[in-house]
Amino acid sequence: MKIVSCFTDLKELEPLAEAGADEFYTAVGELPAFGSKNLPSTDLAAAIIKTKALGKKISLAVNDLHATATDKQLGAITGRIRDLDKLGVDAFIFSNPYLLELFSGGRKRLRAELHLSSVQPVFNSLSAAFFQRFNISRIILPNQISSHEARKILYFCRTRSIETEIFDYRFFGCAYVNGRCQLHHPIHFTLKSAMLNDSLCHINAKPGGLIKLRNLDIPNRAGELPGIINRIENRFTRRGSPRLSNAATFFDFFASGVQYLKYGTRSDRQEVKVKKVGELRAMIGLAEKLSSSRPRTKASQAFILELAHWNKDGF
Amino acid sequence: MAIEKGIRLGTMTLADLKKSGGLEAAMRGFTRFYLGPEFCENLLDGSVCAEIAWLQGQGKKICLLTPLLSEKGARLLNSLFKRLLKLVKGGKIDPAGLEITVNDFGAIELAKRNRLPFKLNAGRLLRNNVFDDAVDGFKVHNGRVLEFFSKLGITRYELSTIGIFPKVNFASGRFYGFNRRTFKITLYYPYLDLTNTRTCLVGMRDVPPEGSALGVTCARECLISSFEITHPSIREKLLVRGNTIFLEFPDKFYASEKDLLTINVDRLVYAPFP
Repeated sequence: MKIVSCFTDLKELEPLAEAGADEFYTAVGELPAFGSKNLPSTDLAAAIIKTKALGKKISLAVNDLHATATDKQLGAITGRIRDLDKLGVDAFIFSNPYLLELFSGGRKRLRAELHLSSVQPVFNSLSAAFFQRFNISRIILPNQISSHEARKILYFCRTRSIETEIFDYRFFGCAYVNGRCQLHHPIHFTLKSAMLNDSLCHINAKPGGLIKLRNLDIPNRAGELPGIINRIENRFTRRGSPRLSNAATFFDFFASGVQYLKYGTRSDRQEVKVKKVGELRAMIGLAEKLSSSRPRTKASQAFILELAHWNKDGF
Repeated sequence: MAIEKGIRLGTMTLADLKKSGGLEAAMRGFTRFYLGPEFCENLLDGSVCAEIAWLQGQGKKICLLTPLLSEKGARLLNSLFKRLLKLVKGGKIDPAGLEITVNDFGAIELAKRNRLPFKLNAGRLLRNNVFDDAVDGFKVHNGRVLEFFSKLGITRYELSTIGIFPKVNFASGRFYGFNRRTFKITLYYPYLDLTNTRTCLVGMRDVPPEGSALGVTCARECLISSFEITHPSIREKLLVRGNTIFLEFPDKFYASEKDLLTINVDRLVYAPFP
């Protein structure tokens, strides 16, 4: 399993490569990309040269679904993408189907590979088949799918030489479906103050009085309500929504042959990025070591046990 | 041209609607019924086929809502599609009076493989592929995306009210490469689906660190009730039903139905509950 690391500064490339990054990805302000913090556009050509010199690949995220553009603006976007394609970007990460269509067929085909972003989440093999028509070479799976649920997608991809990529579960993992979430757009609601922890997903409110019953639709199941209210209150005050991604699912994905592990928090500082990539490298190393010496179930159990005590320094 | 009026019952059965005393009013007030689970595959149920047939028998048009799909949901939806096809073949369902709303590209693929004779609509969970509604209106991204969906047979898009009369970029369609006559909008009110998760806030149990979840399981807790949340950073109340968080906009946001036609809304769908 290889590591795909984000970067937003030329200075980050070497230390990240030393920490264990096998591939790099970034985003630039002039092309619609999901998430915050970009590489200055003027540094992109140098980044391509530098990643090649390091013997690594570089992809560019153009994966914001909100790719609203007049024909003139779209012309500028497509022109810029074609220029970067000529310049040596190895892959473009797209989510918007119309952009995928624009660059996928016949003479319009880019030299670079096309990766399907997790912002266009694939939760089933039919969806994978739908997007296969755009000659995608990799599917970046959303974090809200279990390894068990992904089995058929992984089989589909394996038999069609489509690579698969997952997100690291410790440093990333929104509870809501990426690309289907409006929680970060306060245009529809009024903020009382600045967002807590920069995110509306993590409410972190004090327990008590947060949840109120609105409708009771089935009175004869009313006995279940206290338990449900308690569960929601816990989720909104402490842990958040249940996570499908954990050490066990990571190991299952690893053992199923998923080829890439992404670390994608572009807003992290350089030292944090390097430390996290080092952590991922060590985690993959552990999974490799355990898998080569034990049967799968035993290796998985040992991996989960190790990971439970891992990361003592914390992030 | 009059605005078509629909009601979104979702997973509420006609029997439950009757029990609550609302069936007669719904039959009088609405010409189109929206049935089926829009946000969760765990609620996919073949019994909706009989309701579709019955409602069509009463002269009503139907739209079947379908959710985001995992492999499990895809299997359930496939068998639902096959049942519908049988009913069409047996003359029990008129394909012209049934639309399917899709919220997953896998459902589009499934509809194609089954050669469904029904019109497809792009559901609310797909809306950001076409529209930017994270502004004070609905902006079509570009004509190319409308063309893309049109090639899939989709020209109707489902959107939620945003509480105000939305600004649109349809009049400047020529700059964005589209003609406003090529698509229509179905507008749901009074709830805006703000965000959606697979791991249901209400129903799903926590996954222990040592456990690899098989999928999303629940006891259909969303059918029991909905909840209001006081978010410490947000003035408005958030509403939770199952795996989806909503905002409610109870105030009327348009002066006349004619105004809605100017923004391509030719169908209004009332949701009695989030």
